[in-house]
Amino acid sequence: MSLRERRPGRAAEDGQDEAGPRAEPERCSSVLPWDRFSAWLHCVCVVGFDLELGQAVEVIYPPHSKLTDKEKTNICYLSFPDSNSGCLGDTQFCFRFRRSPGRKVSFCCFLDQLDRDLPVYLKKDPAYYYGYVYFRQVRDKSLKRGYFQKSLVLISKLPYVHLFRTMLKQIAPEYFEKSEAFLEAVCSDVDRWPPPVPGKILHLPVMGIIMKLRIPTYRDKPGTTQMVQNMHQADAQISMALPTVHEVDLFRCFCPVFFHIQMLWELVLLGEPLVVMAPSPSESSETVLALVSCISPLKYCSDFRPYFTIHDSEFKEYTTRTQAPPSVILGVTNPFFAKTLQHWPHIIRIGDLKLPGEVPKQVKVKKLKNLKTLDSKPGVYTSYKPYLNKDEEIVKQLQKGVQQKRPTEAQSVILRRYFLELTESFIIPLERYVASLMPLQKCISPWKSPPQLRQFSQDDFMKTLEKAGPQLTSGLKGDWIGLYRHFLKSPNFDGWFRSRQKEMTQKLEALHLEALCNENLVFWSQKHTEVETVDLVLKLKNKLLQADREHLPVKTDTLKKLQTHINDIILALPDDLQDILLKTGTT
Amino acid sequence: MMAIRELKVCLLGDTGVGKSSIVCRFVQDHFDHNISPTIGASFMTKTVPCGNELHKFLIWDTAGQERFHSLAPMYYRGSAAAVIVYDITKQDSFHTLKKWVKELKEHGPENIVMAIAGNKCDLSDIREVPMKDAKEYAESIGAIVVETSAKNAVNIEELFQGISRQIPPLDPHENGNNGAIKLGKQTSQTGGN
Repeated sequence: MSLRERRPGRAAEDGQDEAGPRAEPERCSSVLPWDRFSAWLHCVCVVGFDLELGQAVEVIYPPHSKLTDKEKTNICYLSFPDSNSGCLGDTQFCFRFRRSPGRKVSFCCFLDQLDRDLPVYLKKDPAYYYGYVYFRQVRDKSLKRGYFQKSLVLISKLPYVHLFRTMLKQIAPEYFEKSEAFLEAVCSDVDRWPPPVPGKILHLPVMGIIMKLRIPTYRDKPGTTQMVQNMHQADAQISMALPTVHEVDLFRCFCPVFFHIQMLWELVLLGEPLVVMAPSPSESSETVLALVSCISPLKYCSDFRPYFTIHDSEFKEYTTRTQAPPSVILGVTNPFFAKTLQHWPHIIRIGDLKLPGEVPKQVKVKKLKNLKTLDSKPGVYTSYKPYLNKDEEIVKQLQKGVQQKRPTEAQSVILRRYFLELTESFIIPLERYVASLMPLQKCISPWKSPPQLRQFSQDDFMKTLEKAGPQLTSGLKGDWIGLYRHFLKSPNFDGWFRSRQKEMTQKLEALHLEALCNENLVFWSQKHTEVETVDLVLKLKNKLLQADREHLPVKTDTLKKLQTHINDIILALPDDLQDILLKTGTT
Repeated sequence: MMAIRELKVCLLGDTGVGKSSIVCRFVQDHFDHNISPTIGASFMTKTVPCGNELHKFLIWDTAGQERFHSLAPMYYRGSAAAVIVYDITKQDSFHTLKKWVKELKEHGPENIVMAIAGNKCDLSDIREVPMKDAKEYAESIGAIVVETSAKNAVNIEELFQGISRQIPPLDPHENGNNGAIKLGKQTSQTGGN
């Protein structure tokens, strides 16, 4: 059993997993200018360094895009390196920041529809924006301080790191040589892109090249990548096939902390406060993204900041000593944090990301008290004792790969599969238990409201582990029970359970609806008073609306059938009532 | 068994000569009197058979305004062909065309196929550029030339057919696995090993 097959279905005998009436959101009938653009990007910003003011947003495109002052300030600081790391030349990194509250959410419902087909870890979080940065710092004698420092930044709700990174790499160098007309042209290209439909090969033209890619769907088998291929070698110049939209180079990112990957997996799974101290924003952001993705297909539910600065609006909230450190993962570069976050329980310190030709030597976990503030050695500083025994196999396998000069892509695939198997072994017992909370089919009566899910009981769940625990799929020994106990208290469990609960409740609603449809409703209404019949009609109409609004996983013909029932009941009523009921909408 | 081949084509030329109208006629067989000016470039595709190949034209229609001029290299970079358009009723647009040809010769891809389109031939009563001038010029630079009317659908298909014919067929040795893909075959592949 894989996570993909997790859809609630214990009581469902129809075996139909795919949700029913899901119109292809291919063509939105009324696409306005910038609608297509907004499906991919919120805006494009140019952040420069003003000698008087410091960082300043110089340009926002399209000009009508809305950013609050707070958002602009955050973008300013997050688009520039905040420590004296040099960063000469071009640097790419990404950040994530909180949107200002009180903004209208998504303009077009069809985008939400697209969101539903995404794997859970790629779903948009409406409270956050991503910023994808291309920063250039080069000597320029013609300028006052002798340096050209500028960032081109893409602001988007989408976590498609690789896509936007690739795009920036294509356009940013040209932009720095050219004028504002360039940005205008880029944006108008993006405004012609097809909507970000998961599961389809998309062709995205931008500034003379075409990016071909495929956004995954929740139906994809985890751990596989459906690659898009170029048709012809010579096409590489005019079109490029992206192997992924969202994945980072896992092996390269974990290389500096190679020996601790399994412990880091536990820390991320449990939502422990974690800080990555790196020499530059590109290393901090890649490492944080790699950490967050290592528990995929589980969604990391707490906040994470691939790059976080002392100017961030959440700086105080996250660094206060009056409370326990929050469940977040921060990537920082400013040495100041070494002091500010001294009290954090787990600190990853990385040096420069080396090319994986060098095998890291066996390193022990470092004691927190040895973390001197400024010039501490790279490593993981924590007093955490992992619940699970260490898997020496994966370490050996990767080491061997390094010796044999296996390409990093291949190493990343091995590492990703290792994490995937670990996560699945961990989560399958939970999936199985939660599926058992679903009421039986026979409990669903068309004349009663849908039955409730049974309560999650930690004890009951723990009892299932004896026979159907992770030992079925993983050879790893250790304190799995302890790991589960800890996990059940974590935000990741909370988020996971809530989404399961929602799915199962919807499934129950859908089954209830189907049960209703199979009744002879006209016959029923003939045996009941007019008032009761009217009440039934209104209730059924509401059900229909709900099914549509919440996209309940019902079969397509169920809704049609229900509509026919409603019409038949209405037609059996006296004329005056018929008129009213046909006109009445529902509450 | 037809092989599909992607060909990048860019349209260049003065503002208002009808570049977008030509693309629109070719791709959608449609003419709009009030077509809005192109910003940067727009992109469309159309696949046409040519011999035993299918040519998928990736058409980049560029903006004619001076301020977008510096972006043009991105569009002609890697292009198999360039369609350079002038307006037969505007002598100036023919001058601009010559400038584009010069730029392509200097900075464009080596074997780029050049096609000159004298658009708006439905307005020949107010013509400023004689057909003969265009023909002689095209001959001197080894380009295809044709007078078109996007409005009346004159010579638009022919223009692109002419380009197709000038594209050398794929090397038969290269026509194997990576040369082209067979139609109907999925281009996706399951990786992960």
